Amino acid sequence: MALVLELAAVSHWYGSFRALTEVDLRLEAGPIGLVGQNGAGKSTLMQILLGLIRPTQGQARVLGLDARTAGMRLRSRVGYMPDRNALIPGLNGIEYVALAGEMCGMPRRQALRRAHETLSHLGLEDARYRRLDQYSLGMSQRLKLAATLVHDPDLLLLDEPTSGLDPEGRAAMLNLLGTLARRPGKSLLLASHLLGDIERVCGSAIILDKGRVLSVGRIETLRAARQRGYRLRWDGVGGPFLDTLRRHGVRIEAHRDLVRELPGEPTGGAIGGGLNSGGLNSGGLNSGGLNSGGLNSGGLNSGGLNSGGLNSGGAIGPVVGGEARVIVPAEWRTREFFAAAVAQGVTLQMLSAEEEDLDAVYHRLIGGVSDRQAAFATPAGADARAASSDAQAAGTDARAAGEAR
Amino acid sequence: MTLEEIRYRGWSEQLTWSWLGWWPIARTGLLLVLRRKVFWIFLGLASLSFLFMFATIYLKAQLTTQNPGFRRFVDGILSNATGTGETYRDFMFAQGTVTMLLLAFAGATLVGDDIRTGGMAFYLARRIGRWHYLVGKLLSVGFLVSLTTTLPALVLYFEYGLLTDSIEYFRDNWTILRGILGYGLTLAAVLSCLLFALASWLPRTVPLVMAWVGVFLLLPATGEMLRDATGSRMWLLLSLWRDVRLIGTWCFGAAGQPRELELLYPSMIVAAAVCVLSIAAVLPRLRATRVVP
Repeated sequence: MALVLELAAVSHWYGSFRALTEVDLRLEAGPIGLVGQNGAGKSTLMQILLGLIRPTQGQARVLGLDARTAGMRLRSRVGYMPDRNALIPGLNGIEYVALAGEMCGMPRRQALRRAHETLSHLGLEDARYRRLDQYSLGMSQRLKLAATLVHDPDLLLLDEPTSGLDPEGRAAMLNLLGTLARRPGKSLLLASHLLGDIERVCGSAIILDKGRVLSVGRIETLRAARQRGYRLRWDGVGGPFLDTLRRHGVRIEAHRDLVRELPGEPTGGAIGGGLNSGGLNSGGLNSGGLNSGGLNSGGLNSGGLNSGGLNSGGAIGPVVGGEARVIVPAEWRTREFFAAAVAQGVTLQMLSAEEEDLDAVYHRLIGGVSDRQAAFATPAGADARAASSDAQAAGTDARAAGEAR
Repeated sequence: MTLEEIRYRGWSEQLTWSWLGWWPIARTGLLLVLRRKVFWIFLGLASLSFLFMFATIYLKAQLTTQNPGFRRFVDGILSNATGTGETYRDFMFAQGTVTMLLLAFAGATLVGDDIRTGGMAFYLARRIGRWHYLVGKLLSVGFLVSLTTTLPALVLYFEYGLLTDSIEYFRDNWTILRGILGYGLTLAAVLSCLLFALASWLPRTVPLVMAWVGVFLLLPATGEMLRDATGSRMWLLLSLWRDVRLIGTWCFGAAGQPRELELLYPSMIVAAAVCVLSIAAVLPRLRATRVVP
């Protein structure tokens, strides 16, 4: 298959700022994703591919043409959708798209006809005579896409096409891009900082960070690099429990101690009874946890603290516990958590599997912090309050379950 | 959703010549200005003096045709419509105020909006270069200048010829045509370049109008003051409109006042420098994206 992009040691500097560093790429035709955070060099790379910027070093060939010298010829075969507004106030939709076609070298009449067709493809036929300043954001994005597609380019360069769209608009745009990515013999380079967008449209992805290519390959390969993670919540002293997990190769990504208030009627000696008697330590794991269906049946939540603590003994008051997010080795089995918990005398209150999504893989590759990790990094007080309210909700659930029984 | 469902069709036809890339830019630029109401107000104001002149020439022609003996009397009364080069030069010079106002407001629409709203990325990502864009926009501005100066002057020239001596007038005064075109071209070139440069750095209307006022009101006033203070007439070169008028006088072949003609060559240098510096100032602004390291 013909190569669409060939970049050899491409570097680019803006003054003393290095935007791209030794980028080497050889990509075949098809939908390709370009992922990177803001400032990663995506837009600079696109400008180089369009022949608008000459790379400070290295060679770039696009569709077999030298991007340094054949910029205008190249742009007649490439469609570029910029991330910025890029609309021309005062024009209407059809004029805007037809102008784009004319500037790509289409005769005026054909550009107009094709503009009508393209706007119809993208569902903007009713808005084509509307002034651009009256377009919504979603419509503007589709209009920009129409202007990109009007001359039926061999390569589409789309810079953050979903930026600013609401979830519904974003899904519609990705759906549309997924369709356009299947144009026979055509290619698409979709730049985004959201790997989820890339995943929906492209078969392969380039991960760019601080001007360097971190990874290039199929999305499946990236998926294979996903880690298995769990989110745990327990009652009891967590230190020895976590040490046991560590000894078994479990990586503790984040953890914190929790002191939770349990709902219910306070009775004398409630704390001691709750923590030390069968409620937390033995009742939890043995009755509800492992034996009655483990994770999925809700055995941990109902059988653990709540059945032993609230229902039988009425244990009320602050309870010491903890919460952690862990990454387990590939061969890890869930029951090993319970074994460790039993061994260290803690009661697992929650155990939920968290399969790493591609965004998290991406953030791990670039050494950043994913949203999920960031959620753990919130102030401890706020977390404790959140955990307390979680526990209250769990308690309510448990009471409801008890009443049902 | 499939390609068939959205009825997508490919396109593969012969492309036009790439050097024609300036044409859709110029056409669209004009379209954008013509759509604004404020433009029509200024054009209406500009056409007032044109209509007055048009009527004057017509009246003069009618009076002299009906009573040839009145010719000298009519020439004396309607002295601003003698059909000489000065008639058209002075008419074009008098259009200055309205032309300045028109351009000040058109600059943001023609150039400023592209810089401000990211339109540059739209243009430059197509099969055009920066020079196509530059030429297209300069032609738009140039056409607007011509619309209030050169074109009305040409209409008056042909009106005068057709209503008075016809063929003889055109034969004897062909240099006037050269003068109108030369003066008009100089006006269009200098004003287009300057407006483009100012609008590319001051893309919003209000700062642009203020800068424009500074160039065409404050600088000439400063020049006059400095001339009075120092006694050097070279300070008058600060009035760009006056410099261009001097070049126009030269184009018409009119002798002008000898004191004024002393400044002809310096005026030419100033006009050329304004054009060159303006284009040099514009080029760095013609980028598809802003770089934010």
